[in-house]
Amino acid sequence: MTSLPADTQIAAESSFRPARRRRLTRARLGRYAIPYLLILPVLAAIGAVLGYPVGYLINLSFQRYGLPELIQHTGEYIGLHNYYLVLHDSVFWNTLERTIVFTAANVGLTMGLGTLLALLLVRVSTWVRIPLTAGLVLVWSMPVVVAVQVWYWMTNFENGVLNAIFHLGQHDWYASTFSQLGVVTALIVWGALPFVVITLYAGLAQVPHELVEAAEIDGARPWRVLKDVTFPILKPIFLVLTSLSIIWDFGVFTQPYLLIGREHQYASNYLMGVYVYIKAYSDNDYGQGAAISILMLLIVAILSVFYVRKMVRIGDT
Amino acid sequence: MKRRKFVAVGFVALAALVFAIAAGGVSGATKAKSITVWLQTDAQATNWQPIVAAANAQFQKDTGATANVQYQTWGTHLQKFDATLAGGNTPDVIEMGNTEMTKYMAAGAFQDLTADKASFPNSSTWLAGLAASGRYNGKVYGVPYYAGSRVITYRTDLFKKYGLKIPKSVAQFAAEGAKLISTNSKKGYSGLYVAGTDWYFAMSFVFDYGGNIATRVSGKWKGTLDTPKSIAGLTAYKNFFNAVSRASKTTDEAHPQPYDQYAANLAASVEGPAWFTCCVKKYTPVTAQFVMPSHVQGQVMPGFLGGSDLAIPVGADKSLGEAWIKAYTSTASQKALEAIGNIPNTTSLFNPKKVNERAALRSWFVPTAKNWVNVENQNILRNMLAEILTGKLTVKQAATAASDDVASILNASV
Repeated sequence: MTSLPADTQIAAESSFRPARRRRLTRARLGRYAIPYLLILPVLAAIGAVLGYPVGYLINLSFQRYGLPELIQHTGEYIGLHNYYLVLHDSVFWNTLERTIVFTAANVGLTMGLGTLLALLLVRVSTWVRIPLTAGLVLVWSMPVVVAVQVWYWMTNFENGVLNAIFHLGQHDWYASTFSQLGVVTALIVWGALPFVVITLYAGLAQVPHELVEAAEIDGARPWRVLKDVTFPILKPIFLVLTSLSIIWDFGVFTQPYLLIGREHQYASNYLMGVYVYIKAYSDNDYGQGAAISILMLLIVAILSVFYVRKMVRIGDT
Repeated sequence: MKRRKFVAVGFVALAALVFAIAAGGVSGATKAKSITVWLQTDAQATNWQPIVAAANAQFQKDTGATANVQYQTWGTHLQKFDATLAGGNTPDVIEMGNTEMTKYMAAGAFQDLTADKASFPNSSTWLAGLAASGRYNGKVYGVPYYAGSRVITYRTDLFKKYGLKIPKSVAQFAAEGAKLISTNSKKGYSGLYVAGTDWYFAMSFVFDYGGNIATRVSGKWKGTLDTPKSIAGLTAYKNFFNAVSRASKTTDEAHPQPYDQYAANLAASVEGPAWFTCCVKKYTPVTAQFVMPSHVQGQVMPGFLGGSDLAIPVGADKSLGEAWIKAYTSTASQKALEAIGNIPNTTSLFNPKKVNERAALRSWFVPTAKNWVNVENQNILRNMLAEILTGKLTVKQAATAASDDVASILNASV
């Protein structure tokens, strides 16, 4: 290299540089483009099955769209009037408050009991674990509508098995809103437990045994081990399970609608899922129904973000 | 090379997906001359089916077309109908409950049959209450199909055994019901089984005392459940329920079916449609019916006149639809419907020997407001009754709240 004249060296470098840069650019472009190309079919499919209806829903929420409009196939644009009506309706706010309390109770019970059962599964012998897991899987595999029928029969006024076992005579499990939603909560938590327990159990199997042992040798009590060793490791799983539970329980429809029954859905016991259904499909006010759906979407997003941030902060400290 | 392969596979998958979606939308059905008819599952009963079959045969003879009868349930048929209205594939004939008609007539869901009214069988003697439910703004949209009244179905052997007579007043019936309860130690045994939130029965008390659900005052609906007369009726209902029924105070009249309670010997009598005699099993030989008495000695209580109309939705084949309705509401067809316990759509077939037809002579009907069915769907009256019977609210509090709700729903713009 040193034997070559200086200008040749420069010329050589300058003739190389553009070529090298071109090669690099092409490679870089390819590296960036390929993942996007790979994800394109998925995005297109999601856009078709999710984006289109959501866009349609948003569009619908700006229109007066009732039964006459449904028949004419054309709505009248009224701006934000549907949102105005919904936000000035006390039923909406009462339902929202009820649903948030209901969701908190359901998610809390699901996660709390789920964690306890998962911890139990780790401790018990195989002979206990297998039937317990089998039982959970059976619960999981039962279709919701069938489960509702079973619970309906158990809480039946005339000859329900719960009244028979506890000698309650003819106790009416659906006499008050609190009792109605209490039975619905029991049904939902019961149905949600298997997923939570089995997922957490799988997660617990990932906690390194040495870490737990080391903590125990250092004198940590079981609660301390759970709080400072197990929980931080399982945090991502808790995060996902809780977020999913919030989303499911906030918008729940099948269980309250079927268990309480079509004839017993009142403004005083609506949950958001039922409320939006009655508004849109019983009252045929599709515009307001769409507006409520959009608001529900935003509320769930806010609740989830709030929760996720809180969880991340717990992890940071 | 590998990357390209991946990309290619991705695109092929996408193309396949798009193609699959597109292919799903193509239908190769050729259109034969046939119409679709939606009837309620009631018509699937074994004694009802021959009447439908006869009408289909007559229709085919008259027009050469075939009728495809599809059966719907009361709980879901409106939502299904809405979906067909949105999609433009409505049935050609639909059975509608008489309380459901107004909302759909007002929205323009049905074709105007006014000009052809005279061509329908017995149209000059149609049952007035039922014909009214198929009219809106002076136009005819619904053809009366059949009506049903509500009566008391009771055990003749038990009434005889305890020396009870067919009651002539509410007070007498309340005493008899209480006595029947005392004769049977079974828990939950009712003298008269009444589901707590059976608003059809409860409103009969309201009308019996001269009350009403809502009235139209200078173009606006006003709830009238909180008037003194209505409150007297609701109070009488509460007292009567507590005296005779041990049913759940919050349940409705289909959970459980009252005739199942009766057949299981959990009730000496039940209140409901006259066809309840169908399903009382081993008690059939000792079962009879009477008309619910009024609180006024010797009179009968006004009962809810249920019923169905047949209508032709927009976009349907009107002439074939009309031809099918004519075949199905012919005098022969109506006679057959009467024979299996329904009230025919024409007064010309009135038979005073039949208890259900006698009960229909004094009847009440819901407010003919386009939003009435929303009051039903939001269960305003059921909620009120549950609150009254469980004691959560006083009669006056519950009636006032319900009255306000009824007014705001009936006056809503959508």
